[in-house]
Amino acid sequence: MKFTVIAALSAAALFGVATSHATGLATCDSGPRETWQPQERLEKMLSERGWKIRRIKEDGGCYEVYAFDGKGDRVEAYFHPTTLDLVPTSRYPR
Amino acid sequence: MKREQARPSVRVWDPFVRIAHWTLVLTVAGAWLTQVGGGRWHEWLGYAALAVVIARVAWGRIGSSYARFGRFVRSPAATLHYAQQVMRHAEPRHIGHNPLGAYMIVLLVLTVILVSATGWLYTTDAFWGIKWVEDLHQAVSDVLVALVTLHVAGVVFTSFRQRENLVGAMLHGAKRPPDDRDVE
Repeated sequence: MKFTVIAALSAAALFGVATSHATGLATCDSGPRETWQPQERLEKMLSERGWKIRRIKEDGGCYEVYAFDGKGDRVEAYFHPTTLDLVPTSRYPR
Repeated sequence: MKREQARPSVRVWDPFVRIAHWTLVLTVAGAWLTQVGGGRWHEWLGYAALAVVIARVAWGRIGSSYARFGRFVRSPAATLHYAQQVMRHAEPRHIGHNPLGAYMIVLLVLTVILVSATGWLYTTDAFWGIKWVEDLHQAVSDVLVALVTLHVAGVVFTSFRQRENLVGAMLHGAKRPPDDRDVE
């Protein structure tokens, strides 16, 4: 009986570990960090487009931006860190 | 033994309880599988899970006898006593939920509400992109996964202890009839 419980718990724990490091919506082949453009430049570029930035984080080697676009709609968008090009995802552009 | 098999089984879990249970399983599993990248499916599965839980809580007030929270949630002292009996291999069989299972249900219900609420919050303008909301949603989701694991382990454990397939009981609703030592 104890074995069943331990086996079930271990299986679930393994499953959890195996899936908890899953990446988000996109990956960028962005190379070493020294070659990246600074986050501030992306922020400035998007602000000039009328976006209001909530947060920028790194995900899958990309910059992931949470923002409101010029129309005030919520946007979650990915950008390549060396080129600052938009990386299309299922979320944006729609 | 033969005589016992001839006795009719008792109907314990009403259809509402069973449908709610398995709908919750499907919606939570679905939301968990669609978590990467979120998206519409993830959101709607989360809202569906919340709806199931709210309906179940309401049914826990007005539903059939075994479905009612007032019937199966015991005092902490009684629950501790039951846990000690389990350790000694001396716990009585409960026809409905046992006291430990009852608290697991309460925890699962509360956690599903927390996961759904924080998930929804993250889609509002006010909390869009706010890190602590995302982190909290992830944290309570992890708690939910842990609780589900313990719940399943508890069900398997109790099934062996009572020599009764409790997963089957949640499917067809029936259980072996009580004997004198069982708690109804």
